Amino acid sequence: MHFVTGGAFNGKRKWVSKTYGETKWISAFQGEVLIEHLSPLNASCVVLEGVEEWLRKLSLEMDINEARNYWKSIVLKWLDWESSAEGRRLVIIGTDLTKGIVPIEKENRNWRDLTGWAYQDLAAHCNKVDIIWYGINQTIKGEKG
Amino acid sequence: MEKASLIFITGGVRSGKSRFAEDLAIQNAALTGGNLHYLAPGVASDPEMKKRIEKHKRERQQSKVEWTTWEQPRDIGELSGCFNSNDILVLDCLTTLLNNELFFNEEKWDRVFLREIHNMILTGITSLLAQSQQLIIVSNEVLQDFSQGNELVWEYSRIIGQLHQDIVNLAEQAYLVECGVPMMMKGDKE
Repeated sequence: MHFVTGGAFNGKRKWVSKTYGETKWISAFQGEVLIEHLSPLNASCVVLEGVEEWLRKLSLEMDINEARNYWKSIVLKWLDWESSAEGRRLVIIGTDLTKGIVPIEKENRNWRDLTGWAYQDLAAHCNKVDIIWYGINQTIKGEKG
Repeated sequence: MEKASLIFITGGVRSGKSRFAEDLAIQNAALTGGNLHYLAPGVASDPEMKKRIEKHKRERQQSKVEWTTWEQPRDIGELSGCFNSNDILVLDCLTTLLNNELFFNEEKWDRVFLREIHNMILTGITSLLAQSQQLIIVSNEVLQDFSQGNELVWEYSRIIGQLHQDIVNLAEQAYLVECGVPMMMKGDKE
């Protein structure tokens, strides 16, 4: 799995499109839901975009620890999917929301906290992590290039 | 000198990005023999801003080299006739220029207006580049905050993000300054 992160409007989507070309693209911004099981998609390369939006929903629906555990279980399912056939690749795009002032509202604090933890859990299982800075990638985990 | 006609520098508040921009400009002006120009869109709207501007000005006056300061709140392209082809320009900073452009007319922030502002700033940058040896643009890192749910902040984030992407794309060198230490994100490392 490949996790692609960075600040908002830094060109993450564009970079992933350029890097992976034509792929099955599932976007929270298009109203699509968080998918646990990827096999029915029948694709070898899948991009999941806007995980922060799905994490927001989880943070509203359940307690933050439950949400984190649920997230971890999904990440493991994704990993299973990827490793169960040759040539499969899952790319996950998530906006970094974690470097500002503490949000005033409790629900936004929960969302932000969950996002930070979820990205740690995700990155731990990814063999590659890139940060996109105005269109330029910096590989912080895995082989460069 | 290896010609890098556009250099982009960003960083957090008080990260030393202006200082780094000025140092680079001074080094490069020494090589080209050009004059140094400081393009300042900041207007002293309150005492705190006034103090900051005065501090930056004083530092430039105390430096061994001579700077010409241009206070230009909007439409930076207008200045392009004022320079020679070997001059070095520092624009400090882009976010202030963008704020001035966005809030000048109290216009509604619709897609057409925002596109116009975006194009106007890029055109301004291009014409400054064409009329000088080098343009160094200083900006701010503002996009890793939690800015969800507010439409105005969202639109602002979008336009500054797109401007930064376009400028980094045009630039030969781009730096992120952390705690006074510049990290080269784009360009040939010597």
